[in-house]
Amino acid sequence: MADIIQLTILGLALGGVFALMGSGLSLVFGVMRVVNLAHPALIIAGAYATYWGWRLLGVDPVLMMPFSAALLAVVGIVIYKVFFEKDAASAKYSDLTVLMAFAVAMIVEGALGGMFTNTQRVTSPSYATEAIFIGEIFIPKGQLIAGIISMTIIGSLGLFLKFSRTGYAIRATTQNREAAELLGVNLRFIALLSFAIGIALAGCAGSLVSFVFNFFPAKHWEWIAIMMSLVVLGGMGSILGTVVGALLLSVLASYVGAAAGATWSTMVFFVALFLVLLVRPQGLFGDKSELAS
Amino acid sequence: MHMKTLLLSTALAASMATGAVAPATADDVLRIGASLPITGNFSINGLKHKQGYELCVSIINERGGIHGREVELIVSDNRSDPATAIAQYERFINVDGVEAVFGTFSSKLSFPLANVLARNGMLHPLPAGGALRIYRQGHDNIFYFQPNAAEYVGATLEGLIEDLIPEGERPQSAAVVHADDFFANAVSDGLLGNEVRNPSDGSLVENMAPGFIASAGMELVYTETWPEEGFNDWLRLANSIKRSGAQMIIALTSSAEEATQITRALETVQADPRLIYLSQGTQAEFHEGVGAASDGIIIHTSWHEDAPFDSVLGGQPFTNGDFVDAFSAAYGHAPDEDSAIPFAVCQGVEQAMLGTGGTDNAAMGEWLGARTQDDPVETVLGSFSWDETGLPENKPFLMTQWQNDGELNFIYPTDAFDGVADMQFPRSGF
Repeated sequence: MADIIQLTILGLALGGVFALMGSGLSLVFGVMRVVNLAHPALIIAGAYATYWGWRLLGVDPVLMMPFSAALLAVVGIVIYKVFFEKDAASAKYSDLTVLMAFAVAMIVEGALGGMFTNTQRVTSPSYATEAIFIGEIFIPKGQLIAGIISMTIIGSLGLFLKFSRTGYAIRATTQNREAAELLGVNLRFIALLSFAIGIALAGCAGSLVSFVFNFFPAKHWEWIAIMMSLVVLGGMGSILGTVVGALLLSVLASYVGAAAGATWSTMVFFVALFLVLLVRPQGLFGDKSELAS
Repeated sequence: MHMKTLLLSTALAASMATGAVAPATADDVLRIGASLPITGNFSINGLKHKQGYELCVSIINERGGIHGREVELIVSDNRSDPATAIAQYERFINVDGVEAVFGTFSSKLSFPLANVLARNGMLHPLPAGGALRIYRQGHDNIFYFQPNAAEYVGATLEGLIEDLIPEGERPQSAAVVHADDFFANAVSDGLLGNEVRNPSDGSLVENMAPGFIASAGMELVYTETWPEEGFNDWLRLANSIKRSGAQMIIALTSSAEEATQITRALETVQADPRLIYLSQGTQAEFHEGVGAASDGIIIHTSWHEDAPFDSVLGGQPFTNGDFVDAFSAAYGHAPDEDSAIPFAVCQGVEQAMLGTGGTDNAAMGEWLGARTQDDPVETVLGSFSWDETGLPENKPFLMTQWQNDGELNFIYPTDAFDGVADMQFPRSGF
């Protein structure tokens, strides 16, 4: 029993971080139908911003989060204006943006490599390698903190989308772009704002990732498949679905790793991706997502 | 008119002057190609290999080049992908017209590359590619510039345990966890006593039984393999290792990044073994990532900055200390083995060119193969001579241990050279 509790805790802790990593990706797709393959690369950009704040100024990674989010929001606005705004009216916008997002990922990786080299980095606040021990069970402090902050941010985003006027507009755009425009929603502004929020979430995730995982510019290729599987399982565009998908798959991966070995734990995400696409392409919350409700 | 005349005269004078100090023509340039993993999973090591190669070539050129010819190094990024590495070496040979190549990083890339370079009649000097299988393919153009095949790392580890730890205090049990990687699997095969087989035809390369864990008197209490890419579940793995109660933890990682992850996870779960050995982690980035948790961790290495190795470069003496100084001046930080090893490869190729009086790759291969312990290739990694498979002769691994929160001290073999530190044993916990 202790084993199951321990595995569940470790899965939930990891899933909490994955949830924040995937939520920005989900938001951007929900509103703009952009499959932003550059999202993990931008998370790494946020991790670098956090790393240098921690390294040069001694600022705790968690406290660097607002700066990282603001910086990445600005970066997101620039990327949107340069790469994604022009073809927004195209019927094949989603298809086009896959290629553009891939190009952006390469550019971001190259820029980060040029600025910071490909050397691995990680921040090391004391809590990153501490744990709370309760009998045989341990709870890793770093991932606990990251998970709590992730859920707080995602919860706040949910409240913003549900109760604010701008949130209404974003949700309306997600549901039906044409109807939202007829009702007076400024689609260009909403798209820009959503993209900026989505990339700001990448900045927040980067701050948390900086003390949970090692990172270097090319690391994002390892994350994109995992994040896509979370988002697809939850339902593309559903932030609630992304959270549920992240927690579910991370716990499942933890069980599989313990039962069948580490080699198979990573497979969980890919198997889930294939199964969902085959059996329920809209994902768990695809037809009545949090955003669309 | 006067202005036109002046300009014409100036242009003529300039062209004449240019002719007088003409830059090297294409035939005067000696091109060498190196495909390296500058991005992707091996990027940390790949970038350092690039620095090592480039520094060596720049010093050679400062000292007059090879046979009076300027050396041009062509480096391509293979993104840690074997197929890309092969394509780039093919291009070096068939399009760029290189006269020699430097090897790439990692067994994963070097194994398929060995056939390509052999087929093209090129010398294959390897900086990294320790898996025994690479050397048992029957190629006579291959020369490894590290101490020994990865399968035999365990022999030095066993020697360390027997020589440095009193009999009653030696660890009795071991956990061996490793990446599902060409190099890490090779080290694991030696430790666990597995049969090493050629992946292409399944033929037996070597039977490593009973394995160095058994011959060191330890019982294997836990083993697990993690995937080569995308593994994130380090805490679960570390907890499983801790709960196995192993007195010695052996983690065979494929990169410094993985070494950092597993060490931080072991610290988080408060594992408390008497001895920890990692296959990677001599890099400064490892200590930056784990801090004082590195204390007591043992890692094998091919190079150490304190090793008093004398070598030659550009026809002149060049000590290991000279290498450290030159590298620090060029890049602003001290080197580690990932830069020293390719530097040694470059030295070996240069000495082969000087020794044969040309750049004929077959002749260079014969020249390197004819080196002996008394007449070796001299590099910043020490002396090299090779057996018929291309593996170095009589060259044990160096064992280092992180001590005092940031010192990577050389601890074994104790008779290799002066400056050996006492091994800290048992570890004092995280």
